[in-house]
Amino acid sequence: MHAVRNIRLCTKDCICLFVCPTGATDTENGQIDASKCLDGCRLCVHACPSHAIFLLPRAYATQQKKSGKTVDALRELAKSKARQEKLAQDLADTTDDPLVKQLATALVRSNRILQEDLHRESGFMLPQASITKDFLMEQLEKNTEDKSFPKEAVQRLLELL
Amino acid sequence: MEEDMREMSPEELGAVCSNLSKTCEKQMRQEEADLLGELSAYYRKQAPKQKTKKSKEKSESSFKVLAALIEQDLTQGYEKANKTIQDEHDRGAQRSLVWGEKATKFLKSLLTRYEKQGNALLENTSVYVCDICGFVYVGTEPPEVCPVCKVPSFKILPIRKEAP
Ligand code: SF4
Ligand code: SF4
Ligand SMILES: [Fe+2]
Repeated sequence: MHAVRNIRLCTKDCICLFVCPTGATDTENGQIDASKCLDGCRLCVHACPSHAIFLLPRAYATQQKKSGKTVDALRELAKSKARQEKLAQDLADTTDDPLVKQLATALVRSNRILQEDLHRESGFMLPQASITKDFLMEQLEKNTEDKSFPKEAVQRLLELL
Repeated sequence: MEEDMREMSPEELGAVCSNLSKTCEKQMRQEEADLLGELSAYYRKQAPKQKTKKSKEKSESSFKVLAALIEQDLTQGYEKANKTIQDEHDRGAQRSLVWGEKATKFLKSLLTRYEKQGNALLENTSVYVCDICGFVYVGTEPPEVCPVCKVPSFKILPIRKEAP
C-alpha cells in the first residue's frame, strides 16, 4: 500500500514533509512519489492535519456475490436508460437549437451515469473481478472481424487487470 | 451472463466500460482507465448516427418520447425492480435503485416544466448534472450538496451551452 494525497483537501501545511522518512511526500507535482513510499508506513496519513492523505491498497477484496434475480432487474433498468441515452444523443446530434442541445446533452450524461451505477451494482464493481475479464474476452472474440475494434487495448487490459 | 451480454446495445456496452474506467481512475490506475475509455469510445462510434436536422416539432416529440420512457421507469421499472430485490438483502442494489428512482423523478419534473415553459426554462441560466448519480439541475449555481446522493457541489458539473 502506498500513500496518496487528495490535492483538493491538502492545505499545504507540510507536516507530511517533516515526518516522511524517505522524502516521498516532497514532490514538484503535488502527488506523493509512490516509488519512494514505504509499504504501509502511514506516518504522513496520521500526521496530516487536513486528512488529505490515504493509503491506496494493492489488492482488493473479492466482490460481493449478486443473485441472478438482482442482476436481471438492474440490467433491465439499465436497458431502459440506454434507450433514453440514445434518444437524447440523437436529439443532441440533430438539433440546431443550442438550448435543446444543452438539455439533451444533460439527459445523455444523466442516463449514462444512471446506467453506470446500475452496472456497478449488477456485478461490474471491480475491474479486477473475473466478470470483467470474461466480459473483455467475450468482446474480443465477438469482434475479431471488426478492424476498428480496439483489440490491442483489450489485450493490454487483460494483461494488466 | 454470456446470453444477455450478447443482447446489449452499444450504449449498454459503453456504459459497462465507462463505469469500469471511472473505477480504475479512483484506484489511480490511469493506463487501465484510458484503455477502458478507448473501448467505451469505440462503442459510442458503433451507435448509428442521426444526421438529418430536426425541426422544432421533431425535437418536441423526442422530449415526449423521453418523458414517456421516464414515466414507464417510474410506474413500472423501479417498482418491479424494487419488488424483485426486496428479499435479497442486497443493500448495494437497493442503494442504486433508491438513487436512480429519485434522480428519475427529478428528470420527470424537469421535462414537465420544459414542456410547459419551453426554452424560457433554460434561458439565462445553467444546466448541471451530478457526476455521481445523474441528478439534473437547472439554475445559476448547483446545490451545495446533491439532493439525491449528497455529494458536495464540486461533483455537480455544468453542461456547456454552445454558441448558436
Ligand atoms: S500534511 Fe496534509 S495538508 Fe500538509 S502538505 Fe501534507 S498533505 Fe497537505
Ligand atoms: S506512508 Fe510513510 S513513506 Fe509513505 S509517504 Fe507517508 S510518510 Fe512517507
Ligand atoms: Fe448526486
